[in-house]
Amino acid sequence: MQYCEHCKVKIKGNHPVCPLCAGLLEQRKSPQEEDVFPQIPTIYQEFNVFIRLLLLISIATTVISFAINIIFTEESRWSILVAAGIACMWISLFFIIRKRNNIPKTIVWQVGLLGILSVIWDASMGWIGWSIDYVIPSICVGAMIVMAVAAKILKLGVRDLLVYFLVDGIFGFIPIIFIIFGWLNVLYPSVICVAVSVINLSALILFEGDNMKAELDKRMHI
Amino acid sequence: MTRKKPVQWTRLDNAAKIFPPNTNEQDTKVFRFVCELKDEVDKEILQKALDKTIVLFPIYRSVLRKGVFWYYFERTEMMPEVVEEYKPPCGSLYHPNRKNLLFEVTYYRKRINLEMYHALADGTGALGFLKTLLYFYITMKYKEDFVEQLPNLDYDASFAQKMDDSFRKHYTDEKIPKRVKVNRAYRISGRRSIDNRLKVVEGVMSVKEILALSRRYNTTLTVYLTALFMKAIYQEMPARAKRYPVVLSVPVNLRAFFPSVTARNFFSTINVSYHFGQKKDDLESIIAEVKEAFARELTEEKLRKHMNRLVALEHNAFTRIVPLFIKDWVLRFANYINDKGITATLSNVGKILIAEEFIPYVNLFNCFNSARRPQIGMCSFGDKLVISFASPFDGMDIQKNFYRMLTEEGVEITISSNSREVG
Repeated sequence: MQYCEHCKVKIKGNHPVCPLCAGLLEQRKSPQEEDVFPQIPTIYQEFNVFIRLLLLISIATTVISFAINIIFTEESRWSILVAAGIACMWISLFFIIRKRNNIPKTIVWQVGLLGILSVIWDASMGWIGWSIDYVIPSICVGAMIVMAVAAKILKLGVRDLLVYFLVDGIFGFIPIIFIIFGWLNVLYPSVICVAVSVINLSALILFEGDNMKAELDKRMHI
Repeated sequence: MTRKKPVQWTRLDNAAKIFPPNTNEQDTKVFRFVCELKDEVDKEILQKALDKTIVLFPIYRSVLRKGVFWYYFERTEMMPEVVEEYKPPCGSLYHPNRKNLLFEVTYYRKRINLEMYHALADGTGALGFLKTLLYFYITMKYKEDFVEQLPNLDYDASFAQKMDDSFRKHYTDEKIPKRVKVNRAYRISGRRSIDNRLKVVEGVMSVKEILALSRRYNTTLTVYLTALFMKAIYQEMPARAKRYPVVLSVPVNLRAFFPSVTARNFFSTINVSYHFGQKKDDLESIIAEVKEAFARELTEEKLRKHMNRLVALEHNAFTRIVPLFIKDWVLRFANYINDKGITATLSNVGKILIAEEFIPYVNLFNCFNSARRPQIGMCSFGDKLVISFASPFDGMDIQKNFYRMLTEEGVEITISSNSREVG
C-alpha cells in the first residue's frame, strides 16, 4: 500500500500520484495491488457524422439556390421555397430522431407534423387545397397501413400499438370536418380515409376494447 | 383469441416525481451502494442470487414510461443481468423513450455494486435490496457454513408494504404551508471531464476514532462531519464569494420518524446553512450552528409540514390535469431555483447492520451519489466508517482539505479513487 507524506493517508490501488494532492508517491512494490475501480478509458461521444454531413449539404443547397436566384432569376423567389422545403425536412427529421425508439409514436407524430406543414405550405402558396384534398387523408390511411405492417415485421406487442392506432383513427376523422364545411374540391380521398378510420376504430373497440381501456387508464391517470 | 393479462403499472411516489424531468448527462440521479467482500465475487452465484432477490422486490422490475399527465412504472418481463463493472460509476440508467431496467448489479474483484435510479428507491430502500442480495449470495456461496440452519432474512415486510407509497400514506390534509424563499448560496465550480464521468474518492477510517473526535467537540458524528465539510469548502472559497452562505443539503430518512418499511422513496431534505462572511470560521462556531440547525429542523413537526406541502402540490386538482411536458418544464425550473440555494450535499446512510452470521464474509460498505457538484456519501459497517466524495469536477481540493483535517487529528485513513489522472 502506498502512502502520501503530505496528506498522511494510505492509498489503495495503483496511483502514480496522490489522488488528493497530486503529490509524488513513493513507489512501494506491493505483491497484489488491489484496485477498487476498474480502469475505464474516456468515452468520446461524437455528434453523428451522418447528421453533420446532412446539415452541411442542406446549408450548401440553401446558399447555392439563393445565390443562383439572386444572380440569374431575380423575378421569382423560388429559393425561398427550397429553403422552406429543407426546413420542413429538418423538422420532420428532428422528431423522427427524438422518438426513434418508439416506431408507432414516430409514425403518429409524423402524420400530425406533415399534415400541419402541408396546410401551411398550401396556404402560403395561395390556397389551392391539395393539402386537405390529398395529403391529409392519404397520410392518415398510409400511417394505419404502415403501423399494421411494422407491427407484424417488428413483432411489436399489441399493447404498444393500441394507443397509436387509436390516435391515428381519430386523426382519420378530421376530414369529416372538411366535408361538412365544404372546403374540399376532391371528395374521394377523404371519404376513403373516414371509411377506413371507422372500420379501424370499430375493430379496435370490438376486439381490444378491454386492453384499450386498461392502456388508456394507465397513460391518462392523473 | 387469448386473453392477455393486463400489464401492471404503478404511479411514482412524491419524491420520485422530481427525478425524471431533472435527469440529464450531467446529473444522472443514480446512486451506488458497494459491498466489499473478503473474497473475489463469483459471477454465476451472484446472478442466481439476483434472480432470487428480484422475486421479492417485484417493483424493481419496471421501466419508466411517460403518460399524458404523469410518469409511471410499467412492469416488464426483463430480467436483470450481472456484468463486470464496465462504465464510470453512476452512469445514466434512465433514457427517455428507451425501455430498460432502472437498476444495475455489477461486480469488480471483491466488490458488488448496486446502482439504482433515484426515482425507483432511496438509499434505505436500495439497502434493503442489497442486503437481501447478500443474504442469497452468501448462503449460496458458502453453503458449507450454513448446513445447519439458514439465518432469517431480516427484512420483514409484505409485498404491499414494500411497494407502499409512504408519502401518500402519511400526509395529512392540512392547509398548504407558505413557501420559504430560496436564498442564493455559494456554488462550487470547476472543470468537468469530457465524458461527464464522476470522480470518486473513498476514505476508510475507524468509527471509534471519529466518534472520539466528535465527543471532543461535544457533538454527534454527523454534526461534526457536516461542519468539517463546510470548513473544507470554505477553505477553497474565493474571498468575494463570502457574501453567500454555504448551504448543505442533508437527506433525512423519514422511516425514522413515520412508520414505514417501504422499499421505495421516503425521504426529505433539510438545509443547514453557515455564513462565513458574517461569522467566525473556526470549527467550534460552525459545529455550534450546525448542531442548532439539526435540532431545529429534525423534528417530526417540521418534516411533516414539509412533506404535506410537497404532497399537497401533487394532489392539487389543477396540477393533476396539467400535461406532462408542461410539468417537466415547471419542475426543471423549480429545481433550477432550488439548486441556486444549495452548495453541496451530505448523505449519511448511518450504521449498516446485517445478520451476525454474515459479518465474517463482508469487509465494508460504501455509498455515493451522482452529483452536479462535490458530494459526500457515508455509511458505517462495524468499525469501518467509509466517507466517499463524488464530484464531476477535476479539482480535488475540497476532498484534500477534508481528509487532511482528519489526518491532522491523528485519524488513520485509507484512500482509493477511480481517477488516475493528476487532479
